[in-house]
Amino acid sequence: MITLKNIFLRINKKKIFNDLSLEFSKKGISVILGPNGSGKTLLTKVILGLVNLDKGMIKVYSKNKIKLGYSPQKITFLRRNVFDNIAFPMILDGCDKSIIKKSVNDLLKKFGIFEIKNLSARNLSGGLGQFVSFVRSIVGEPEILILDEPSSNLDINLKNRMEDYLMSQRHKRKVIMVTHDLFQAQRLADEIILVENGVILMKLSKKEFINAKSNKIKSFLNKNYY
Amino acid sequence: MEILLRAFELIISLDSDLYEIIFLSLKVSIIALFFSVIIGVPVSALIATNSFVGKKFVKILFNSLMALPPVFVGLLLYIIFSKSGPLGFFEILYTPAIMIIAQIIIILPIIVSINSEYLETIFNEYKDLFGMLNAKLSHKIKVILWDARFSMFTCILAGLGRALSEVGAIIIVGGNIIHFTRVMTTTIALETSKGNLSFAMSLGIILIFIALILNFIALVVKNLSVKYSYD
Repeated sequence: MITLKNIFLRINKKKIFNDLSLEFSKKGISVILGPNGSGKTLLTKVILGLVNLDKGMIKVYSKNKIKLGYSPQKITFLRRNVFDNIAFPMILDGCDKSIIKKSVNDLLKKFGIFEIKNLSARNLSGGLGQFVSFVRSIVGEPEILILDEPSSNLDINLKNRMEDYLMSQRHKRKVIMVTHDLFQAQRLADEIILVENGVILMKLSKKEFINAKSNKIKSFLNKNYY
Repeated sequence: MEILLRAFELIISLDSDLYEIIFLSLKVSIIALFFSVIIGVPVSALIATNSFVGKKFVKILFNSLMALPPVFVGLLLYIIFSKSGPLGFFEILYTPAIMIIAQIIIILPIIVSINSEYLETIFNEYKDLFGMLNAKLSHKIKVILWDARFSMFTCILAGLGRALSEVGAIIIVGGNIIHFTRVMTTTIALETSKGNLSFAMSLGIILIFIALILNFIALVVKNLSVKYSYD
């Protein structure tokens, strides 16, 4: 469904990606793991088309117009309340006001944050803001959902709600998630992509990752996580 | 003290000459502000949301025009619209119409420069969000205009203040004709030179009063923005 081919990217003359190619599975959850500064966030921005490549191609196959959902690491909220921020992708899609109202209210209730709908999104705590950003990313029922460290500030309660939702959606849409949490990766991932210095070290199934037989995986984990 | 008392007497007695001058001042400045906003806000939104060759130059130009001496604007318009000037056939010299044009030239750069700064800051912050959601230009502009509304309103009030207090340009192009183009600031200049200080002072007091009202409105807007801007 999503294929990156021969991606070359330099930022301020620094090589970020040098001939990077990667193919994601059609459905399910792909987790990108890697140390800080390895290029994970930029990789998500490349998929979203938010950075201008020096060279390379991004192909996204779909029968219909692709709908994307994105929850970035550095969250931006409009100067509006929580409801309006979550509704924003639907407003841009030109959805009917009554449909927006119903969908957003349903989501707020489903995720147990209905009572904060009139608060300023920009003044929420770090964790709640991150959760609202996650809810905003799923409001338009996107085919591809890209989450960049979506749970780094969440308490266990909100983290569980988010993970339960992702697990329930794994066969319906494509999820690409960046995380530093190895246990979360093991819980959620259908495939795991290891990134280091802008290079895709390996792409593994969850089983291969958990068994971690390869020395390359062991050395990656030892170096970056233990 | 006597001048002040006489000035208050004129204000309280609803002197028709005095109020005619006040209303013309307000009319000219508000119309000039209206057109400056109509032109200036879309221009600042376009500057803020687009990258184009020469953008820096355009911004520097508008910033520089903020410091344009009103007397020079008056002189320029006088040359252009005088009978022998290239646009003399319009025959608007010494009419309120050219006073409005002069004020637009003076306050438009303020509206464009300051608002485009506000809007660009917000736009840069929202850029990734807009990009990811494939937002159309019209949506982007709508969103940043709404989110910058309180700051923009304060800037527009500053523009009105500038228009009301302007004297150099309108005295040249308006001619300070009694019952036709005489406004508060030009009257103050004239009456002071004639020694009619109480009349000049009464207008000065009214100008200060208007400035106080504008500041009060700006304060109210600032307080509202704390409550409703969600920032």
